[in-house]
Amino acid sequence: MSESIIRIEGLSFVYPANERPSLDNIDLEINKGDFVSIIGGNGSGKTTLCKCINGIIPHFIAGDFYGEVKVCGVDTLDMPVSTLAQRVSYIYQDFESQLVRPTVLDDVTFGPLNFGMKDYHQKGMEALRMLDIEGLKDRFIWELSGGQKHLTALAGALSVKPDIIIIDEPAAQLDPYNAVAIYRRLKILNESFGITVITIEHNTELIAEYCNSVILMDAGRAVWIKPVRDALNAVNDLVKRNIYPPQVSQAAWRISPNMPSYPLTVGEAEKYFAAARIQCPVESNDCGLGDDAHMPHPAIEFKDVSLWFRSLTETTKNVLKDISLSINEGENVAIVGNNGAGKSTLLKMITGVIKPKGGHITVYGTETAEIMPEELSSTVAYIYQNPEEMFIEDSIRKDISYFLKTRHKAHEYEVLDYFINDIIKSFGLEDLQHKDGRMLSGGQQRRASLAIGVAMQPKILLLDEPTGSLDIESRREMVNSLELLKDRVKTVIIATHDMSLAAEWADRVIVMKDGRIIADGDTRSIFDDITLLDQCHLKPPQIVELSKRLNMRPIALSIDEFTSRISSIDEVMI
Amino acid sequence: MNPFKGMLDKINVESVELELMRTAYGSTTTLLSKLDPRILMVWYLIFAFAPWFFFDSAKLLSIFAFVTVITAISKANKLVLFLLCLGIIGQMACYAIVAYFLGGNMAALAALLTLTLKLATISLASIAVFSNIDPERFSDALLSFGAPAQLAFSISYGYRVIPVMVEEYKDIMLSFRLRGHAPSKKGFLSWRYAYYLLKIAVLAFYPLILNTAKRIRTTIEALETKGFSYAMNNNDVKRLKLSYLKIKAADIIFLLVSILILIAIILI
Repeated sequence: MSESIIRIEGLSFVYPANERPSLDNIDLEINKGDFVSIIGGNGSGKTTLCKCINGIIPHFIAGDFYGEVKVCGVDTLDMPVSTLAQRVSYIYQDFESQLVRPTVLDDVTFGPLNFGMKDYHQKGMEALRMLDIEGLKDRFIWELSGGQKHLTALAGALSVKPDIIIIDEPAAQLDPYNAVAIYRRLKILNESFGITVITIEHNTELIAEYCNSVILMDAGRAVWIKPVRDALNAVNDLVKRNIYPPQVSQAAWRISPNMPSYPLTVGEAEKYFAAARIQCPVESNDCGLGDDAHMPHPAIEFKDVSLWFRSLTETTKNVLKDISLSINEGENVAIVGNNGAGKSTLLKMITGVIKPKGGHITVYGTETAEIMPEELSSTVAYIYQNPEEMFIEDSIRKDISYFLKTRHKAHEYEVLDYFINDIIKSFGLEDLQHKDGRMLSGGQQRRASLAIGVAMQPKILLLDEPTGSLDIESRREMVNSLELLKDRVKTVIIATHDMSLAAEWADRVIVMKDGRIIADGDTRSIFDDITLLDQCHLKPPQIVELSKRLNMRPIALSIDEFTSRISSIDEVMI
Repeated sequence: MNPFKGMLDKINVESVELELMRTAYGSTTTLLSKLDPRILMVWYLIFAFAPWFFFDSAKLLSIFAFVTVITAISKANKLVLFLLCLGIIGQMACYAIVAYFLGGNMAALAALLTLTLKLATISLASIAVFSNIDPERFSDALLSFGAPAQLAFSISYGYRVIPVMVEEYKDIMLSFRLRGHAPSKKGFLSWRYAYYLLKIAVLAFYPLILNTAKRIRTTIEALETKGFSYAMNNNDVKRLKLSYLKIKAADIIFLLVSILILIAIILI
């Protein structure tokens, strides 16, 4: 096991336009057959390092390159990218742009065919078999779900029989169910086929479950490479760099910061906290059963709403089935469910851009079918999952003012500017306001898209997957921005598969599956029902599961809640 | 609900996209789709050029009839055929009006009708052929005729990204609408509303182009790692890629019979 497959010595790299090196004197060795995860904050050089391993740097992206990278014993400078690409496969974060052919089998055989392998067809089929997705072979790429596309990209990487597979942030791009599906397959590839796997990953819970070792990157340097348990137990090292270990480790660390080791999984945590005393919540009446003091005022109502589409094969596809729902003014609602459950469609129907084929939707008493989305937009604002689709102007400031300027005359602009300045300030966009939205980082883009929505002064704000494809740092930034909405918007609805966001933020949770509402209730009672979540392939946050196993009543929804209710357990070890 | 909006609901971006994809990849069961794409292209070239050499309307009508039969068995897309018919009828109406006002007689109209007949024949031939060669086989046929690999790849890649781009275009259009302000007075025949929609339909292209440009970097790098440029300079790979294209007896028979019919029409 100790034979090294990648050996990096004194590697530094500076991108042409930059002054600061993106990689700074890296010495690193990765063993054959390892399952490694690279962690580190934004701009720490994770992706750059991986591009040095597959030879894209310096063969394709020029820059100042120092040091030596050896893959399978050969210097990457001595190997053309095409040869190197048969040893190291790379799956991009934006994996959709990596799929260049119309059907699955075409795409999977594209690599072997280009490299002139006569049995390219067999190689492609073999890759599909290894991932257990032969059934997809004749499907068109655009018909696939996100998870299936990712698997196709992985199959395409496998088909050239590489020694090493590098995957850039799989969990950030997929819903939790599909992320686990990818990791399970990677584990099989690693254990049964001996492929060395390198992932860039922010989700430490997945790292704990699947990876063997971890490389920590910071400001272009490789700080350390450690076995996974040692790595995730180095909580101080991680937290300092805004990387957060699994929720249960965080909880244990907060309670007793000087322990030699912390639990990584719920099972371990259950033993770790077994001897701890659980206290009752301080405010015993506030067990999350939201206050029903004020009279409910319905903002949105769905009555027997159904929706279906035609597809390429002339069949109709049901998207929503018999949805009846009432959302009151002032509620913070999370709609949870995996991809394809119908969450986004439900949100879009509230904006009036999709009209129901059956049933009725009213927003503050107005039937959405009888009004144009432009008119409804002064009541309802919709924030896209992909913020780039909201940047219709060439600067953030113009984007934020777009809605108001289409509704006011030129002489009123001066007054509007006060309001716009205020929004820009509260969302911390002063320095970015004149930039094109596309040029911002993922977290900044989300913040800008929220500001665009808030500037419309809506009564209802709809957010589609606000934490999707964000790294942990940007996710925190986003969750903090959600707090800013409280004073400005009455009703907020979030569609998400981020269960810890739903647990910590929402006061009402609606669970959707296959176009139907499976459950609807206050957050605590929904998360209390593990069977229900299981049935919808939703995994509750670790802390919820732990508090349930420890018979904590009522269950804790956040780490803060958990730690405030558990006694110190310094004497207990794993 | 105004009439303009009702029409929009029927002919929306989605159904056009669906029809487009269906035309491109839909039929694989017709006679023509089973033939070698190179033979189909040769066939197309013959029938696209032949009408230009005759002026005899009986011969032209015969060729037109033959091509119509081929189109009928090729199960061409109805929407495309409908648009073609609409175009031809519109054209004839224009000729009639122009001929009437310029004081021309029926002879002028007849001469123009001959031209229309030729164009209709060629259009039908292209519909018959191209709705039966999917972009993949078309691109491979071009490659086999010696077209550059970049061109052949662009055609198949272009089709691959159409659904992605249409999806994004729709979302950007919605972005304009969800933050925009439709004219409160629709005007005569909703022209204000139509103008408003047309304007954002054009504006929506700019963000689309910028977003696509940003993504294309990944595609280029991915192509590199999948050996695209390696394959481009390698004739063995080209041979391997095109090895599935085989001209069979049915291909030869189809081409020969078509040529014989054409010769028969010319001679009789």
